[in-house]
Formats: sequence, structure tokens, C-alpha cells
Amino acid sequence: MSIRVESIRKTFGGFTALDDINLDVSDGGLVGLLGPSGSGKTTLLRIIAGLEQPDRGRVFFNDRDVTTLDARRRRVGFVFQQYALFRHLTVADNVAFGLRMLPRDQRPGRDAIRARVRELLELVQMDTMTGRYPAQLSGGQKQRVALARALALKPEVLLLDEPFGALDAKVRKELRRWLRHLHEQIDVTSLFVTHDQEEAMEVSDRVVVMSQGHIEQVGTPLEVYEQPASRFVFDFLGHINALEGQYDGRQWRDGDASLRLDTHGACPNGDLTLYLRPHEATLARQPSDSASLPVRVAGRSVFGGTVTVELEPRGWGRGILEVELDRDAWRQLDPGRDEALFLLPRDLQTVTCDGDLGPRVRPA
Amino acid sequence: MPRHWHQWALILAAFGAVAVLLVLPLVLIFSQAFSQGAAVVADNLTSTDMISAIKLTVIVALVTVPVNLLFGVLLAWCVTRYEFRGRKLLTTLIDIPFAMSPVVAGLCYLVVYGGQSVVGQWLDNTLGLQLMFALPGMIMVTVFVTCPYVARVLIPLMQSQGTEEEEAAVLLGASGWQAFWYVTLPKIRWALLYGVVLTNARAVGEFGAVSVVSGLIRGETLTLPLLIQMLNEDYNTVGAFTAAGLLAALALVTLLLKTVLEWRQRHKIDAAQEVTP
Repeated sequence: MSIRVESIRKTFGGFTALDDINLDVSDGGLVGLLGPSGSGKTTLLRIIAGLEQPDRGRVFFNDRDVTTLDARRRRVGFVFQQYALFRHLTVADNVAFGLRMLPRDQRPGRDAIRARVRELLELVQMDTMTGRYPAQLSGGQKQRVALARALALKPEVLLLDEPFGALDAKVRKELRRWLRHLHEQIDVTSLFVTHDQEEAMEVSDRVVVMSQGHIEQVGTPLEVYEQPASRFVFDFLGHINALEGQYDGRQWRDGDASLRLDTHGACPNGDLTLYLRPHEATLARQPSDSASLPVRVAGRSVFGGTVTVELEPRGWGRGILEVELDRDAWRQLDPGRDEALFLLPRDLQTVTCDGDLGPRVRPA
Repeated sequence: MPRHWHQWALILAAFGAVAVLLVLPLVLIFSQAFSQGAAVVADNLTSTDMISAIKLTVIVALVTVPVNLLFGVLLAWCVTRYEFRGRKLLTTLIDIPFAMSPVVAGLCYLVVYGGQSVVGQWLDNTLGLQLMFALPGMIMVTVFVTCPYVARVLIPLMQSQGTEEEEAAVLLGASGWQAFWYVTLPKIRWALLYGVVLTNARAVGEFGAVSVVSGLIRGETLTLPLLIQMLNEDYNTVGAFTAAGLLAALALVTLLLKTVLEWRQRHKIDAAQEVTP
């Protein structure tokens, strides 16, 4: 079932949570609503579920206007951030709840309910814990029970509020993959809220980046990463280094650092800020023809195939910079403690005077 | 465990105080009641005044408890589930019966609903209904005096439990009533029972407010606490202490119930906190 949201506005007291939101989610999509806390993503999810009423605007399921439809009649599956399992009911009774609430003429028989519950618990790999109470389950287990419960009525829309927020790193990763897999197995349109960039990038087909009640960009994970529509999106997706300096028409300078660029993006007064992604630079013992950015290694963290290096600029800049090298490159370089190195950017993003994104540039 | 002699002394003093201030009077009530033998106790228990007082006390409690159960749940629901103007004011207002002397409450009711008042006269003339110096007035003041108990027990609990489970129930197709019956009620049932026990104890034992509006008509508007006072003034010591013994026994049962409920509650919380991964 497709979801369409038109000109939604929602305020709480004087605070504008959502301001003129328009969004289309196609049938069968797996869409991540990504944004920092306070960006309005959870409010949008709750409005789609019918738990909140928008001040203005409409919500459509398959071209059917559901804006004024009661939450209990929207038939969406919803997974709460803290799971909201019924604490006084067992795992099996939690999953059966929706089926038991059906009007008598639609309600399946006792055996049919039991069979359906078993099927769902097998789907989420919780069929050995039917008799347990929520308090006896771990976070990951509760999460899966909450999912089984949300799927019991075969909803065509599945909404998940920070589904992995309360789990530890390892379980998170496992469940993310599992959720993707599950989404492919069943015919459902899923929308999930997250503040975790990596999670949104890994799980979703499409990412909706939100900030302060606005949608900043909608696109595939690759699109939003490679062609960010705004400074906020660039900023929010992954760590960035901001290099602030002066441009004289040929060279960017900041203290002892210089960088030859071919750009017209500088402000009238000569200020030019450059964004550098950690993996779009390398380190060397000598400056290059175009770049001379002296640094010193302040720390490093080896994890997986990449090495994250913290750099302290020497004679320029403010604060620590971060670059990612692959492990072999790091081993080849093998810098000594306090050894003078040079940062060599490959790709940089300019920022215009009014704070938008300018053209991408390379050292020349 | 205490280590020093002065710690033991303090504990001993506490037990001593409890014995002198609480246990001794309780023992004396029963020993006084039985001072002239069980037969006299039985006579007193079966006297018409006593039976009428027991009946009246039970009726007052039977009406008061359900009324305040309903009132308390509704109030706690409103205050914890909805955001509205004057919510804080409402939570403060329900404490009025706690803050106010029951005698003052009784007098207020007398002024508003008594035979001299506009409301009282209107009710008397049009419906032929007399509220004060009769059962309805006694029930009214008892309801007033005991109305905060259930709400006071429920509000903090329902606040801490939040509304997500109810929202989950609604999204699974439950109506408001179903969400209350199958989700909210099981979550609050022990606290609710605790509130009922407290309300009942107070309803049965209430003296001040009821004495003002009862009119003290023997065999008609005397509840057990009022009867005790009456019998005591008549120098019927055995009778007074028999009635007192009855109330004291009821108090002991209530205490037992309360302890069991608290234990259940704590047990539930412990069980909920014990997570097996």
C-alpha cells in the first residue's frame, strides 16, 4: 500500500514540529526517516499511524484519505521505540492481542489464533519463548516480539519508531539485516524512524533526511550521500572536517596551510570554507604541488579494514581533523610519534557565503 | 544487623512505644469487651441498636467504595491521559478532603443541603427528599471524606506507566473500552485494590463528618463509631467496647489485606525487574 502525505503541519504549543511536509512512499518500499532529535520524524510517523492529528494537511493510503480515520481502523503495524509490550501478558498473548480484539464475526477461532501466533513467532525466531513475560526477555527479543505483534493483523503498512535505538551495537547490526530480510519476505510498505545515519543507509531503499520540521532531501542512500541537496544533509551524513580560510583567487590559505584550487565559490571578503570527508584524503611525508597542509598524528583507531586517524593541524586550523585510510596504506606510511605529515585532500566541498553547498572542487 | 548496644536500645525503645501506644489499647478493648463474659458480648452484639448500626455502616461503605472507585479511576485517567488547562489545579483540588477537618466538611454539607438552605428546601418541597440527618447525607459526607484515596494511589502509578501500551492496543484495533479493560486495568489492579482497602477502612471508621450530619437518631442514623460514643456516654462500657472491638477487628483485617497487597505489588515489581537474557 502506498502512503502519501500532503502539506502536513503540526505544532505543539509554540513549537513547530512539522512544517508543510510532503512525502510519497511507494508500495512495498522500505523508507528510513533520518534526522537528529527534534527534527519531527517521530511526529510524522505518529501522524501517519493516527496517534496524532495534524493541524493541517492530509494523509492518504493508496489514494484513500485517512486523515480523520481513527487509529484503530487504519490497520497499520506499529513498533514502539520501547516496544510497549503488554507487561501482564505472555509473549504468545501479546502477539494474539490484535486477533482477539477483532469483532466476533471476523475473529478467528481459538485454534486458528494459536496457529497464527506460532507462525508469527517462528517468523521472528521466538517460538521457543511463547510462555515468557516481557520482563524476562532481552532487548532484542522484546523487539522481535513487538514486530510479530505488529504483523499479526497482516498490515499493509508497517511503522517503526527507532526500532534499533535501545539495543547494543552487535544485536543492532544483526537485527538490521534481519529486518531487511523480513521486509523482502512479506508484502508490506515499511517506514522507520532513526537518528543513526549508518542504519538509515544500510536498511532503507530510500532515505528521507529531516531537520527542524522540514524534509531536506529524499533519495536513495547513494544519492543523498553523493549529491547532498543541502549543507545540513552533507553535515549530517557521516563525519566531516570543516576547513575555514581565505581565498585569493588562486590559493586557499589558513595560517601555515595552503591549497591551490580552481574555484569561484569564495565570499566577496575572501572567506572560503571547505568540507572534507574523512575518506576523501590521504597522508604523506611530503606536501604535494597543490596542497600543503601540515599535520601531526594525535591518535588512531584500528577497526576492520580502515584506520581512523586523528590529526592535529600544525600552524593552522582549529581542532582535530579526522581521516580514514585503508589498513595497507597506514601500514606503509607507519608514521612515528609526533612525525610531521601532510594532509592531501582528493575531493572537497565548498560552502557558499549564505551557508549553502557550492561546487565540489579538487586541488589543482 | 545493629552492632552497638545503643542501637539495640533504640530498637527496644521503638518496640516499647509500639506496645504501650498501639498494642496495649487494642488488647484492652477486647479485654474490656469480654470483662463480663462472652454471653454479655453476644447480648450486646444482637441488640437492635448494634444490628442497626452494623447494617448502616455496611450500607455506607457499600455505596461509598464503588462510587469512589469509579470517581478515582476516572479522575486518575483524566489527569494522566489528557493535557488540559487546569490539570494541576484539579490534582490539587482532590486533596481538599485530606487537608480539611472532617467536622468542617460535615458542617459545609449541612449548610448547603440542610433544611435551612435553599437547596435543602427545594429538595424537600419538590421531591420530599431530606438529605441531612438521614442516610443520604451520611453517605454524601463519607464519599467526600474518602474520595482522594483511590485517585491518589493511581495517579503516580499511571504517570510512571505512561500511555504507550494503550496506544499499542488501539493500533491493534482495540476500542477505548477494550484498551482500558484489557491493558490499563490489569496494569493498575493491585494499586486499585489497595486504594479500595484504604477507602473502605476510612469509610467504616469515619466519625467527625458523619456525626455532624447524622442527627444521632438511635436505631436510625447511628453508624458503629457513633454508636460507640453513644454507648460510652450511657455508661454501657461492655457495649461500647464490643462495638469498638468490632471496628478494631475490622481494622486488623484491613491491615492484613493491605500488607498482602503491598507484598504482591512489591513481588510484581521485583519479578518485572528480574530480567533473564
